[in-house]
Amino acid sequence: MGSKNIVQVFNKLDDLKLVFNYGQKIIPIIQNLIDFMRETVPLLENINNSISESTSKIPKASHKINDVTHATELATTEILDMVDNISGEISKLEKTYDGKFNEMKSIFTAEELEGAKESIKKIKDYSNNITLSLQVQDITAQQLAAVNHLIESVQKKLGELINDIEDADLDKIDRMNLELDEKITFDPNASYIKKDDHQKVADMIMDSNNLSSQEEVDKLFCK
Amino acid sequence: MTLKFLVVDDSLTMRRIVANSLKNLGYENFVEAVDGSDALNKLAADSTINFIITDWNMPGLSGLDLLKAIRSNEKLKKLPVLMVTTRGVKEDIVDAMTAGVNNYVIKPFTPQVLKEKINQILETYNR
Repeated sequence: MGSKNIVQVFNKLDDLKLVFNYGQKIIPIIQNLIDFMRETVPLLENINNSISESTSKIPKASHKINDVTHATELATTEILDMVDNISGEISKLEKTYDGKFNEMKSIFTAEELEGAKESIKKIKDYSNNITLSLQVQDITAQQLAAVNHLIESVQKKLGELINDIEDADLDKIDRMNLELDEKITFDPNASYIKKDDHQKVADMIMDSNNLSSQEEVDKLFCK
Repeated sequence: MTLKFLVVDDSLTMRRIVANSLKNLGYENFVEAVDGSDALNKLAADSTINFIITDWNMPGLSGLDLLKAIRSNEKLKKLPVLMVTTRGVKEDIVDAMTAGVNNYVIKPFTPQVLKEKINQILETYNR
């Protein structure tokens, strides 16, 4: 072995020493990284469990919303039945009143008779107004259906997230599938606003028979 | 002309409210359908129906689909159709109008508005 080779060996040893020195510096960093991961894994598991738990509760929330819709429809039907009964009784009363009007004239003053007739009319109007106010049930049902749709979307996203974390545990996700009431359809913008602005817009469009495109409608509304 | 209405809505509440409003307006002759398909069946079975009041959002065949089906059917295409719906955005109204709706009522409605729209349609048909 010549002196040249010996110099090469020393150079290699110096390189090796540098690697050891670098290793000595990097080992604590790796150790810190391992410690960090050791602490992070339970945290990730917690997050995963929380997501799984929340996702599993979503179908329950969705069913509750459907229950509310069905309950309000039932209650509304009962109210409509009662209003129908009231209207029926009022109609009977009105007939009796009209039939016995001449006889009552000798007992009551004209003012009293007029007042009674006015009261009957008011009760009829109030009954009609109650019926119309119950449109809120249909509108609320559509709003709840929109919320359910949103919940379904969140549930799907969470399911995908759990799949990613748990390496596609499909069986678990399948068990969390929502059973949404497909009979319910909805308008996401449904609102119970007793203003005639919306109707005016509809009337304007309907009155403009020649309008056939959105562009023309926008022109009408100066958009 | 004796009017016979077909009230189409998947909501029992709304069918009853529309029916009550019709009764209060003096129209006693009406049948009900729960969605667009049911409405088409009722129309096929009863040729005396001559006025349709329909909701838009319904499962299966929607009100808009029903309207399009009516307008593309030789026997039914001239029937007056009044849409009663929560859908109040311009695009929807234009879609309904393009599909051939005769008039448009936005929920919640009052009997006055319903009466006005029915009368407007009848005036057009009687001309």
